Amino acid sequence: MGGGMRRIGTAVLSLAAFLVIWKLVTVIGDLPDFILPAPEVVAERGVRAIASGTLGQHTGVTLLEIILGFAVGASTAIATGVALAKSVLVERVLSPYIVAAQAVPILALAPLLDIWFGGGLLARVLICALIVFFPIAIATMVGVRSTDPLLAEMLRSLGATPRQLTTRLEIPSALPVIFGGLRVGVTLAVIGAVVAEWAGASSGLGVLINIANQGLFDTPLMFVALVTLAVIGLAFYGLVVLAERRLVAH
Amino acid sequence: MRPPRSALLLLAVVLAACSPGASSPGASVPSGGLTKVTLLLGFRPDVQFAPFYLAQQKGYYTDAGLDVSIEFKQSPDVIRLVGDGRALVGVADATDVMISRTSGIPVKYVSTLYDRFPVALIGRKGEVPSDPAGLKGKTIGTPGKFGSSWVALQALLRAGGLTVDDVMIREYPQFNQADGLAHGDVDLITGFRNNEPLRLESQGIAVDQLTIDQIAPLPGPGIIAGDSTLTSSAGLVRAFAEATAKAQADVIADPEAGVAAAEVAVPTIKEDRDAALAVLRATADLWKGDSGFSNGAIDMERWRSAYDTMRELGFIDGSVPPDEMVAPAG
Repeated sequence: MGGGMRRIGTAVLSLAAFLVIWKLVTVIGDLPDFILPAPEVVAERGVRAIASGTLGQHTGVTLLEIILGFAVGASTAIATGVALAKSVLVERVLSPYIVAAQAVPILALAPLLDIWFGGGLLARVLICALIVFFPIAIATMVGVRSTDPLLAEMLRSLGATPRQLTTRLEIPSALPVIFGGLRVGVTLAVIGAVVAEWAGASSGLGVLINIANQGLFDTPLMFVALVTLAVIGLAFYGLVVLAERRLVAH
Repeated sequence: MRPPRSALLLLAVVLAACSPGASSPGASVPSGGLTKVTLLLGFRPDVQFAPFYLAQQKGYYTDAGLDVSIEFKQSPDVIRLVGDGRALVGVADATDVMISRTSGIPVKYVSTLYDRFPVALIGRKGEVPSDPAGLKGKTIGTPGKFGSSWVALQALLRAGGLTVDDVMIREYPQFNQADGLAHGDVDLITGFRNNEPLRLESQGIAVDQLTIDQIAPLPGPGIIAGDSTLTSSAGLVRAFAEATAKAQADVIADPEAGVAAAEVAVPTIKEDRDAALAVLRATADLWKGDSGFSNGAIDMERWRSAYDTMRELGFIDGSVPPDEMVAPAG
């Protein structure tokens, strides 16, 4: 059996074990569906939500927020991370604000951002980008600073400009660390989209969770939304890993 | 390869933790003559829960043989946990009881706390239509498409011959729709008559309200209990409801005493005692109906009328009749 097949086999076994434990918890705990629905109940509810179009509609909105939020957050974070690494002044000026912004609970700030930015897609993308920003910016800064000084010196002696030094050496050599930040950031983007929807939105998986939980008292539907978010998170994480494998020489 | 012992032990612990015996029961074996019971409240500790604090402090619960422990949960979880028998009683919206009962959660409404429906449409003075038909084209802020606010809004729109398609809805899931009104983002908001109007007026914004009582009567929040609890401990539920109604009557007669009791339980209330007193006075007004305080009695005529409204609006499918949603404790 090849490495790929072994990996898939392990993942399938792990999923099966998770589902068996989940089912056991509901059976041994004698838990009703409104406390913890069994996996087959969630699956059945998921099929109905897909057939009715409910799941697709909400998932589409959340996917758009994740993609835009991650794109805005990651690109800003990488640019900021490079600036932080290369300029002591920029680091001294910006670092306290970046750390403070990270320390403020986004759940408290999100409703205000929603009001300040008009409550539309822009506000939700900004909230998502804000959550994504910190780990990628810090990873980029650390990665760029880890550049081999001898290689940098060699490029300079060959007449490389500061721009060439950054694009040809520092960023490529920082890629493994930057991708570490991107891996964290992309999973946070999923959380960011839901937090943004909880601050103010009329559709999206976060909204579906609220409607299922507080409006319909439909716990299985809430789990369908949670499972969908988990699958989205895994898919985006996989895409980042795939990109990393292509761009980073091992 | 055999799984490591530690993994098996962890699994056993997880399964044991999930067993019914591990959950905190709604009522436990009497100790020292008192039965330990749990009351679940939604929202957060605040002055509107003064009757529960007063009943504890004045010994109304202990006189009824109860040692009441108060816990705060999210409103939907109050219904789920009470339905599962993990608490003796909880407080929930009557409209939520109708929806949750229909979706299979075995809870019943046992005693009325609010004789008037607490949700209203609120707007700046002079900008609130007196006829629901005047809502057409308005932008309305509401927490979301759930809960008593959403039900009340739809009932008002229906009374005006409108639907949600005739208005613009802006959602504020963090319940900060009053900020949206103050900021000028919406024309009107749904809100609690004992909360948002007072908050807005404290910011210097004079408001008007469109209440639902005379237009499409809905029952207000009340005490709920699970089916299993009502089978095994109906006497405890009745004793709790009676003691609470007694404390409510005390607070209606003397709101200052209610604030004092709430201050003991929630010391932060002292930060703005006047505001707390205003909230409690407004809350006590909602406990009383047209003929005064009803001591927890359930108005079944209003329940049946509301049931029909909820059914016509599509919140419930009518599979569970209203009589199965209510079990008067008195």
